[in-house]
Amino acid sequence: MAEMEERSVDGATNEMIEKATQDGVLTVFDRAENMRPCPIGAEGSCCKLCSMGPCRLPAPRRREETPEEKDNRRGVCGATIETIAARNFVRMVAAGTSAHSDHARTVVEAFIQAAKGEGSDFGILDEQKLLQVALDFGIEIAGRTSREIALELGEEALKEFGKPDGTLKFLERAPLRRQQVWEEQNSKPRAIDREVVECLHRTVMGVDLDYKHLFQQASRTALADGWGGSMLATELQDIMLGTPVPTTGKVNLGVLRHDAVNIVVHGHEPLLPEMLVVASQDKELRAAAAANGATGGINLSGICCSANEVLMRHGVPLAGNMLQQELAVVSGAVEAMVVDVQCIMQSLPKVADCYHTEVMTVSHKAKLPGAIHIEMDDAAPLAAAKEIVRRAIDNYPNRAQSKVNIPDHSVDLVAGFSHETIGYLLGGLFRASYKPLNENIINGRIRGVAGVVGCTNARVKHEDIHTQLVRELVKNDVLVIQTGCAAMACAKIGLMTPEAAHLHAGPGLAEVCETVGIPPVLHMGSCVDNSRILMAATAMVKEGGLGDDLSDLPVAGAAPEWMAEKAIAIGQYFVASGVYTVFGVTWPTVGSPEVTDWLMDEISESYGGKWAFEPDPIKMAKLMIDHIDEKRKALGLDEARERVLFDMEMRRDLDAV
Amino acid sequence: MAEKTAQKAQRTVGEETYEPGVPDGPQNWRHKLRDRDEMLRYLETGERYWFSDEWYGSEKRRTPA
Repeated sequence: MAEMEERSVDGATNEMIEKATQDGVLTVFDRAENMRPCPIGAEGSCCKLCSMGPCRLPAPRRREETPEEKDNRRGVCGATIETIAARNFVRMVAAGTSAHSDHARTVVEAFIQAAKGEGSDFGILDEQKLLQVALDFGIEIAGRTSREIALELGEEALKEFGKPDGTLKFLERAPLRRQQVWEEQNSKPRAIDREVVECLHRTVMGVDLDYKHLFQQASRTALADGWGGSMLATELQDIMLGTPVPTTGKVNLGVLRHDAVNIVVHGHEPLLPEMLVVASQDKELRAAAAANGATGGINLSGICCSANEVLMRHGVPLAGNMLQQELAVVSGAVEAMVVDVQCIMQSLPKVADCYHTEVMTVSHKAKLPGAIHIEMDDAAPLAAAKEIVRRAIDNYPNRAQSKVNIPDHSVDLVAGFSHETIGYLLGGLFRASYKPLNENIINGRIRGVAGVVGCTNARVKHEDIHTQLVRELVKNDVLVIQTGCAAMACAKIGLMTPEAAHLHAGPGLAEVCETVGIPPVLHMGSCVDNSRILMAATAMVKEGGLGDDLSDLPVAGAAPEWMAEKAIAIGQYFVASGVYTVFGVTWPTVGSPEVTDWLMDEISESYGGKWAFEPDPIKMAKLMIDHIDEKRKALGLDEARERVLFDMEMRRDLDAV
Repeated sequence: MAEKTAQKAQRTVGEETYEPGVPDGPQNWRHKLRDRDEMLRYLETGERYWFSDEWYGSEKRRTPA
């Protein structure tokens, strides 16, 4: 038991791991313990791009490599370790970008259907944002209906994936100085698909063999994610489904209910989850649930970013993050686990075999052996949602009470902090503003802002690095903004309630949070919603007083427990946007010290931002705080400037001058 | 007088300055924008960093940096 407790800082997770062991179920935690990571692959020193390999090129252990050894560390084709490490990294960026951007494409296609109004379950819920995004795209809005504007916007948005000329529209939202940097570095993404394809081409055997040149394409591709695919997904989802506003919710496996049909939605795209919200409130279906003995009706909750999406817009509870997907099934209380794309474990049906849970896939892009496939129409997923709810209701009587153990752990949180809502909370409707934030950074009450995002990873103690890091940051007056699984980790320890300000934050940050009524850690949404962080940071620059570029801001980013390729794409677009970004767990280019040094140092000469790697959370916090302090110093803010109230004597002295 | 001040301080420190309890649903402030005119006006105020010609922030200083 003592050993099991060390796998997570979360009590619910530890309880469910223990239950899984008792039930004879293997989970990700067992697999991580039973299989060590490949040391050569982990450091990026393995190349399997052609059949002359795979070539394994590890650096000498426990001693310095000689120049001759380094020069000879080449694949069969002659590629150097620098090229190999860089190509592996660039392919991670391409894969991550493709994930967020293909999500965006699905949203854009559904958006066009909604605009046409032909058999779509969706409409235009946020007309103000429609106008805003339409103007960004240069679309005429005068005298036109919302549907007409939306249709043209959808068609223009679709072109962003494959247009032959120009660069991405949303780049123009960035600070002017940043746009200039991208121009100078030839890093402005053209079309999203084109950048991903070019990444794959350049990393094919025998194409781009200059690692610095490869990273130029990595940056351009990553920017096509952050300021392209991810931003398109966020913005069009907001128009169709509503821009997030402050809402309360709950987090952890304790949100599952004994008396209700439990449906857990897991994955990333919000279209089906939105319709599951509708279906779970259907009177007929609720009556059917009651008739089957579920007196509490239908209880919808979520895992991973699907959960974050419906939390942000509806307050649907979060059952947990990525590493908890199997554990939700292990509770024995889940009738249906509904998955779409990204971060889905193939082991889910095997775990479900030990219980009554039905695992259901819904996307035409992703099937899972052992799961039931109920394919949804992306534009009209309500029919699939109703079928899923019906199946879950029918499955409720199969729940074996002897196997049910819902951990008694759930915590309140406040979510819904879109960048628009932050502006509203700081300035009201008449003059929504980032001025109070900037002023409090300038006067020193808030030291800076940190974005802590990303995955959870079974190679480290679950949620330990996230929670230690964020506690340390807020204690040092750093306002933290979060997305993804990282947000859930911190919500579970109560950091996302307004009360957390006086319990956890330093005095300056606490004062500001209490005045505004916000938590010291703000939930900004799912992983595509990292684009909201870009917008909030841009608003800080444009407000004034904190420099002219994103790289001037006293801000830092981190993905302390990252595991997915998507995290590398996100990190690279933050670096290429000028942000200092620290990753934990492991670093994928350590096999090449030269490439690693370039990413963690020299790249800042081009972009102003750079990477860092630090697995220890307290040291990670120190790196971020030191960077924030360095930026404060560069802005002349290294000493807090208290307001001086002049008395008459001081006024007379002034007059005398 | 001193006693009165002390009493006031006692009442204030630690006292809840907010309405207790949990809200019923999302606080949808965006519904306050009722028609297209208000929405477009909001672009020039709430989204002025991107949409207002009159905004003077880091990028539109009266005196360039």
